[in-house]
Amino acid sequence: MAESTQLKSEVLLEQMKLHLATDAGKKLTKEIGHVYQLNIAPTKIGFDEVIFVVDLKKGEVKKGPYEDGKPDVIFSFKDEDFIKIATGKMNPQIAFMRGAMKLKGSISAAQKFTPDIFPKPAKM
Amino acid sequence: MAMRELVTGGAACAVPGSSSVANPLSNLANALIGSSSKTQERLKEIPTSTTAGSHGQFNSDHDDFSTTLPGSESDYQQNQHADGQGLAFLDSYHATNRAGLADAWDEIQHQRNTYRNEEGQTHLTESGLIYNQGPTAQTQLSFNGTPQKILSSFLHSFVNSSCGDFPFRPTALPVLGLTKGEKRCIRDRSSIMARHFFSDKSDEFINAQVDALLCSLDIDNNIQAMGSLPWRFSDLENYWTESQGAFATSPPAERWVTEYEQQREHVDPGGWAHLFNQQHGPSGWASEFGDEQSQITSVTQIQGAHISNLAAMEQSRLLASTLAQNNDPKFQNSKFLQFVSKMSRGELFIEDNQVQSSSVSVAEDWATEYKKHYIAGLSETDQHAHKELSYGPDKWVHEFATGSKQHELVDDQWADEFSKLHVQDWVEEFGNQVGKGALGEDSTDSWAAAYDEYLSEQVATKRRLDSSKGIYVFSDMNPYVGHPDPLKEGQELFRKGLLSEAVLALEAEVIKNPENAEGWRLLGIAHAENDDDQQAITSMMKAQDVDPTNLEVLLALGVSHTNELEQAAALKYLYQWLRHHPKYGALAPKELPDSLYYADVARIFNEAAQMSPEDADVHIVLGVLYNLSREYDKAVTSFKTAIKLKPRDYSLWNKLGATQANSVQSADAILAYQQALDLKPNYVRAWANMGISYANQGLYEDSIRYYVRALSMNPKADNAWQYLRISLSCASRNDMLEACDSRNLDVLQKAFPL
Repeated sequence: MAESTQLKSEVLLEQMKLHLATDAGKKLTKEIGHVYQLNIAPTKIGFDEVIFVVDLKKGEVKKGPYEDGKPDVIFSFKDEDFIKIATGKMNPQIAFMRGAMKLKGSISAAQKFTPDIFPKPAKM
Repeated sequence: MAMRELVTGGAACAVPGSSSVANPLSNLANALIGSSSKTQERLKEIPTSTTAGSHGQFNSDHDDFSTTLPGSESDYQQNQHADGQGLAFLDSYHATNRAGLADAWDEIQHQRNTYRNEEGQTHLTESGLIYNQGPTAQTQLSFNGTPQKILSSFLHSFVNSSCGDFPFRPTALPVLGLTKGEKRCIRDRSSIMARHFFSDKSDEFINAQVDALLCSLDIDNNIQAMGSLPWRFSDLENYWTESQGAFATSPPAERWVTEYEQQREHVDPGGWAHLFNQQHGPSGWASEFGDEQSQITSVTQIQGAHISNLAAMEQSRLLASTLAQNNDPKFQNSKFLQFVSKMSRGELFIEDNQVQSSSVSVAEDWATEYKKHYIAGLSETDQHAHKELSYGPDKWVHEFATGSKQHELVDDQWADEFSKLHVQDWVEEFGNQVGKGALGEDSTDSWAAAYDEYLSEQVATKRRLDSSKGIYVFSDMNPYVGHPDPLKEGQELFRKGLLSEAVLALEAEVIKNPENAEGWRLLGIAHAENDDDQQAITSMMKAQDVDPTNLEVLLALGVSHTNELEQAAALKYLYQWLRHHPKYGALAPKELPDSLYYADVARIFNEAAQMSPEDADVHIVLGVLYNLSREYDKAVTSFKTAIKLKPRDYSLWNKLGATQANSVQSADAILAYQQALDLKPNYVRAWANMGISYANQGLYEDSIRYYVRALSMNPKADNAWQYLRISLSCASRNDMLEACDSRNLDVLQKAFPL
């Protein structure tokens, strides 16, 4: 943790990294089998985006753009909104409707992008 | 039938080389003004009947207009559009005839053009040139600005306005330098988008919209294509039949599929363009007649001006000027309405290129029909195209709408195409639109559901918003208000483990004594244990306001912010904890650095831990810090050390469990949570964490039971409700979603006993 201001999403995605190694995570990989690229912006979509790749083909989470071809879907959202979606606070469809989430790519792949693919953080 | 062509824009009229003496347009115009066939002759008396002359005269008039008339540059783009269409329309006139009528039109149009153009002078010259050169100069006609800009603004206007009341027969020609792929994308995507825009309208209307859009896009380059296309102009009737026949002979779906395949494989794109040209080009212009409202207005203006001009005859120039000056849409519309209503009443029609006044003809029927469709916002041509052509977008739209078996496939293909389009604005606009329907099985249902959800969420988020703004949200009905000693009562309730009751009592306390740090602190802890971090943070902030150096408050704030993934804030409070600690404060640098570095803070805490290894608190803070840096193994060690020193601290067991859960040691986590619950059975947070652990292991049925248990103790735990919902849908218990959404605990408890 080099910098003190860090995206919440990164914390969650780090957890996701571990999660994908578990049985539940492996099952996810098998069920979904898509590659999602997440462009996460701290405050405004399109600005200072940090790119993550959630590769549910290989079962990996990586920082940086996808390099092995084209991701199935590229999502863009604000840090906050991604957390809301991943923790079920916001429905992806609603997020989409309000422009809180933008996507490029396969719609059917995007439909599988639901809160249940993300591990829920436990609270201390 | 000829009439049909004329009214719909008369692309077919634009037949160069037509030797037909009788000009249908001038005849039509004559008839419209109610003048006799003599008009033809009189037309020629119009001073502007020679092109060069007319241009010169009007040019000078125009200079005046352009300097005196108001205009705004921002309108320019849009005007350009209308102008472009007007030009196209005009060009067909040119192509059709060189008679006086065309020139009169030319003149008027020209006038309008300059009038609308603030930069009048240059544009005037340019457009003047184009007009006067006729079809040969058409290739020179171009919009200002980059194609992207034009397209973008056009698409915006389509998106932003629902004023495109007029459907069009689709045409597809290379426009604006768009590749065929891009065009295809626009076509397909606009079809879907229109469904969302006009979900309350009929299919026909939607199709009309899409067609209108597509046609409009093609208008600009239509000019060129149409000018060069060979038209069999002399016999409109024949032409019409012929084109129908051509369409009918090729099975539309198959044809489209072929085209589509060609596109996808990038095989013979030129051939495709040609094919499309052939198929839709000839009739394309016809469909331009109807257009978006703004464009209609421009046509209306032309026609209005035109009519007046002809009616006035000798004074045509004067009138034209007046008309050009009178930009009142009402006025223009009224003229147009007159024109339309005359046609609709069947007073006018054209047969064999002669205007006749009659009540018995095909034209009358058609005119009536046209009127009907005009009102319904649906043109005959479009309907026709829709029924018989079944050309690409229409076909595709239907497949999409009927949700055929190919739906999924088409959807995918479509989505792929979608991502190929590089017009960014459009992509985004459309992206907004598409998700609504494309993500839902039934777009209407999903809309309704989504809206409901949105409303309920609004209510829910209001509370959350308030608390995140640092405003503590008090419960509505608090029986402890007026209690003689709510703090004592609160402490008692808290000890008994009645967290929700304790919250109420403590709220009463802080209402009574807002300066009571202990009241706020305990309230914060109660909230944290009740699994409501937002309220916990707000309470703790209040406590900190009152007592900025309270170590427990600072630690609690550090923990809560960690839970909310707010790393920077968490680090800040943990560091403050250290600074205000009587024993370790000396370790921290006196100056609080502007930006904290985790490594520095962790190093100082490690020093502190070495100083007094028997202090459980240091280990707890270290454990939280390691959670922040995701060094879960170290965090687990720290918490275990702390637990050895404070084995009865249930919150420590929970912290250990949460750390293990986050490092995917779910089985261990559950054991730790169990310890916490043994010590404090009403520990809502631990129950919820149990649920999370089961859910993260994919054991959704089990997780549901724990969530429900947690919620039965604190129905205000929003997180648990959200997680419960996810687990319910993952466990395929959609039957319980309603109970979850309505927060009906009784039903859920019966269905999922622990």
